[in-house]
Amino acid sequence: MAGVLSRHRGALLAAAVLLLASPVFGVVLAEKVGYHEPLDVAAEKLGLEEHQVAEWTPFSDYTVPGLPDTIGYIVAGAIGVAVILAIGLAAARLARR
Amino acid sequence: MHIPDGFLDPFWIAVTYAAAIAYALAAWRRIRGRLGPEQVVSMSVLAAGIFVAQMLNWPLPGGTSLHFVGGALAGILFGPWLGFYVMALVLAVQTLVFHDGGITALGANILNMAVVDVVVGYAVYRAVAGALGGSRRARLLGAFLGGWLGIVAAGIAAGVEIGLSPSFPYGVEVSVPVMATWHAILGVIEGVITALVVDYLYQRRSPIVEAAEKVAMKATV
Repeated sequence: MAGVLSRHRGALLAAAVLLLASPVFGVVLAEKVGYHEPLDVAAEKLGLEEHQVAEWTPFSDYTVPGLPDTIGYIVAGAIGVAVILAIGLAAARLARR
Repeated sequence: MHIPDGFLDPFWIAVTYAAAIAYALAAWRRIRGRLGPEQVVSMSVLAAGIFVAQMLNWPLPGGTSLHFVGGALAGILFGPWLGFYVMALVLAVQTLVFHDGGITALGANILNMAVVDVVVGYAVYRAVAGALGGSRRARLLGAFLGGWLGIVAAGIAAGVEIGLSPSFPYGVEVSVPVMATWHAILGVIEGVITALVVDYLYQRRSPIVEAAEKVAMKATV
């Protein structure tokens, strides 16, 4: 089933290139301008408690425990892509039946 | 665009989850039995691409940013029903694995980016491409307007949800104009990227386009 992915080599390669470049935007430039998600900024200004629900996701805010932010951002992104493609491949297997 | 935890009160959490689930079921009824492995894999490749594109935050002066959302792109390529599932997959993984968007707001985020953005982007694209005869120029203009207006509509929807929720101290008279104006300006970039990606995929006869064309027409509104 994974062979089906080979047709999409171009798209996956483009995603990999974007992924490698992503820390420039998501980490380096973000730190430079003190970036937060727009709605997180609004929440902070209004005194809303952003994390009423405890942090429980494994790679919160695209970080990987033990890795520097830039590398962690790429690894987290790769994990996200892998999870999405794994779900897609599993669903494709079901669709074949 | 991703609403975090803390913005919506329990009533609106329930309403937005119910609306998102209702759309998911309606979409499922229309696509059930029509999909082959090729389409499903293509949808997940598009979802992976949109997921990565969303990681590229462009910082703006003032400590905020913009990033591509991709709802209109998913709708234009796969139609309103399959496009929903492409975006819902992206949003669910972002929330459940990376806490990008709150779990309490997942229903609202799906409603805004996987329903409103997808449906408006698709409808505008089809209307423009249909009116102008389906040429490459019509496709570019339709995808630009679809991407732009899709993100504006999604921003307005988020403004309504936030404004109606008592957790947020301002009403819709404040939240909606702010969200509409902000997204009308930033949405131009979404429109440009949507148009360029749609054009590129069609010009290259991407396998994503081939897979989508086999089912998207059958699964329209």
